[in-house]
Amino acid sequence: MPQGDYIELHRKRHGYRHDHFERKRKKEAREVHKRSAIAQKALGLKGKMFAKKRYAEKAQMKKTLAMHEESSSRRKVDDDVHEGAVPAYLLDRETTTRAKVLSNTIKQKRKEKAGKWEVPLPKVRPVAEDEMFRVLRSGKRKTKQWKRMITKATFVGPSFTRKPPKYERFIRPTGLRFTKAHVTHPELKCTFNLEIIGVKKNPNGQMYTSLGVMTRGTIIEVNVSELGLVTPAGKVVWGKYAQVTNNPENDGCINAVLLV
Amino acid sequence: MVQYNFKKITVVPNGKDFIDIILSRTQRQTPTVVHKGYAISRLRQFYMRKVKYTQQNFHEKLSTIIEEFPRLDDIHPFYGDLLHVSYNKDHYKLALGQINTARNLISKIAKDYVRMLKYGDSLYRCKSLKVAALGRMCTVIKRIGPSLAYLEQIRQHMARLPSIDPNTRTILICGYPNVGKSSFINKITRADVEVQPYAFTTKSLFVGHTDYKYLRYQVIDTPGILDRPFEDRNIIEMCSITALAHLRAAVLFFLDISGSCGYSIAQQAALFHSIKSLFMNKPLIIVCNKIDLLPLDGISEEEKKLVAEMKAEAMKTVLGLEGEPSDDEGVLLTMSTLTEDGVIAVKNAACERLLNQRVELKMKSKKINDCLNRFHVAMPKPRDQKERPPCIPPAVLEARAKQAAEKEKRTLERDLENDNGGAGVYSASLKKHYILANDEWKEDIMPEILDGHNVYDFIDPDILLKLEELEQEEGLRQEEEDDDFEMDGKELTPEEQEALAEIRKKKSLLIQQHRIKKSTAESRSTVPRKFDKDRKFTSERMGRHLSSLGLDPTSAINRARSRSRGRKRERSSDRGDNDGDVMDMDVDQPNKKLRMRSRSLSMSRSRSRSRPPGEVVPGEGFKDSAQKVKALKIAKKSVKKRNKDARRGEADRVIPNLKPKHLFSGKRSSGKTDRR
Repeated sequence: MPQGDYIELHRKRHGYRHDHFERKRKKEAREVHKRSAIAQKALGLKGKMFAKKRYAEKAQMKKTLAMHEESSSRRKVDDDVHEGAVPAYLLDRETTTRAKVLSNTIKQKRKEKAGKWEVPLPKVRPVAEDEMFRVLRSGKRKTKQWKRMITKATFVGPSFTRKPPKYERFIRPTGLRFTKAHVTHPELKCTFNLEIIGVKKNPNGQMYTSLGVMTRGTIIEVNVSELGLVTPAGKVVWGKYAQVTNNPENDGCINAVLLV
Repeated sequence: MVQYNFKKITVVPNGKDFIDIILSRTQRQTPTVVHKGYAISRLRQFYMRKVKYTQQNFHEKLSTIIEEFPRLDDIHPFYGDLLHVSYNKDHYKLALGQINTARNLISKIAKDYVRMLKYGDSLYRCKSLKVAALGRMCTVIKRIGPSLAYLEQIRQHMARLPSIDPNTRTILICGYPNVGKSSFINKITRADVEVQPYAFTTKSLFVGHTDYKYLRYQVIDTPGILDRPFEDRNIIEMCSITALAHLRAAVLFFLDISGSCGYSIAQQAALFHSIKSLFMNKPLIIVCNKIDLLPLDGISEEEKKLVAEMKAEAMKTVLGLEGEPSDDEGVLLTMSTLTEDGVIAVKNAACERLLNQRVELKMKSKKINDCLNRFHVAMPKPRDQKERPPCIPPAVLEARAKQAAEKEKRTLERDLENDNGGAGVYSASLKKHYILANDEWKEDIMPEILDGHNVYDFIDPDILLKLEELEQEEGLRQEEEDDDFEMDGKELTPEEQEALAEIRKKKSLLIQQHRIKKSTAESRSTVPRKFDKDRKFTSERMGRHLSSLGLDPTSAINRARSRSRGRKRERSSDRGDNDGDVMDMDVDQPNKKLRMRSRSLSMSRSRSRSRPPGEVVPGEGFKDSAQKVKALKIAKKSVKKRNKDARRGEADRVIPNLKPKHLFSGKRSSGKTDRR
């Protein structure tokens, strides 16, 4: 016992005070009432936080209770049919699965071909032009309105060179440019922060694709050399497509799912 | 000097609490109301402020953690090593490093999101960005949760470390487990260390303080050390090793010669030799404890040899230190903490040697010269063989003896009591030593209640004093009055009496005049003298006054007259001359115009004639003179106050402002010429 632990030392020498355990029991018994008082009194953010915490506790409690009850309660036995199981009247029949396998492979191939662009987010909300662009007024009297500023996240390649500002029609603000995306590998179930190589297709139109606008549902190409993926032929894959799954301009980051 | 107080480190909240603290702070201390209709710049600013504020708070909190935890390289090596032994330096540094990284990450996140918020074009978008920013900051903190928990534990432990000052005078007690180290510290200090008859009762360093020669010494009790390789030692033993290695202290190596601790003398000697490198340059004392069980002479020859070897080793430290072989006492000491035999001797020896060593070190250092230059200790040599004892005058000696005798002689109440039959029989008189004006009063009975009143309520201890004062005052006043009376005493000569009467008359006159002056408002002195209406201050009056004083007034009068600009022409005298002419003209020229003039003249003349104030003139509208007098009185009264204050009245001359500046200057774009 270190020198500073005077409470423990005192307890060791003289024991607990005579009503220590009773007080403790009473305090514990009062605890529920106190909590309920707080729960009734707490307002606003505090109340919300308290309720959330309490809810989580209760859920946890119910789970534990259920887990304990599992061992004692009776349930129906799992009725899932095992693979290859056959009813009694078919037991003597020989089964041939070959034809089925063949048709399956054909189907598989067809599916693969068709599903080349089958993506996790097949449908996206169309984005109107006036949501995508903001009109900038130019000219000495600010009467000309042919300039547009893109209000969504964009990807601008490293080799991009600006036109003279006077003639620049579309402005991609630097604050909304992104070079990296959080890409989730759906099979590995983990996320990597990968560099963007380019925008493959924006579902809203060719113009947005060429401008490099990234909205929800856009297919982007990412650099997966870090992942160490290999083609069947044994080459290292370094560029792969991924689909954006969030609204980057609202979240401040790009989340995407790798298309495999 | 650096104080090693680790108690001041602020509490490190765990990850969840940390987030709650910061977020609720943001919620409380930034504005909360915002509407869609606000200007977009205002919306952006609203959310940017939230993001920035949160980041600032995170930064502040993390910075305090980083700054308050000591850097192991900067603190005294003793503490550095002690902390390393208990918490592992690498782990500690890693945890602080993580906190630092988190701080930087959060700053970066805030910067990014504030930049993005500048492009937010709707409330929804700004809000989403804010949520994302705060969320990411919280995630960062959540990740360093384990580090925070670790630091909190360390903080609690550090706060409870005994406050050891590594630079002060220190005595360090070491030895095998169970040899009586803690009993010794309990004997010489008030540390109150637990003592039990098993090994490793003491698991950490304990501090106590003791005094020797008016100086305070810090005594440190260390856990027992076993004789084994350095790497195998556990944390408890390492505490002792750290203390031994880094504190410049007097080391007491405890030796249990009876062997009741479970280790033989040979084993203890082996330990001594294995750690003797730690005793370098420190005063070392070998203490043979538990001599109540077995005296030092009672051990076998071999063991004696071992002890002698250790003693020689200890002597070496003495030799190396002082450069000259000193006597061997104070190197090997025996004691028994049970019988308290030699405990104080051990303490004194240790303190003495430590003090000597420290003084010597100081003398060797360079700084000492600055101080030594200023010292001069005079040591007079005896000039001959004559004894020169201090001389005390016999009178003083006598007085002293007398005083002592008096002191002895005085009989106490207690003695009286014993003489007169002891307690219960003899009752002491409490009134005996009263100090009163008259000794006879001592035994008087003092009633507490008299006539149904509490006597004490009416007692005023100062009453006699007050009475005396009052009487004195009265006497003084009486004397003054007597003086006054003396003035018109009979001793005055007739001339003097006359003069006195004159003075008095004059005085009363002046007072009367003054009163009159005061009662009539017009004659207030604030009104300048030139408005002296009743012509009081005339040269005649001055002449009268001067002559009454017995001076010749003529020259003064002449001078005053020569200076005055002469009397103004009086209207009445002229008018009196003209009177008849005007009347004539009135008769002669019945011209209408003239008649008008004449009438006005006549009226003015008639008015100038003196007339009693109450006389009723037809046309004035008064019924009778009584009414007029009354009216005049009222009129006079109404202006009395105003005149007294010398304020402007309706009869005063007024110069109206015919062209007010504000109406005649500036443009006339709005408003009119006469009213603007």
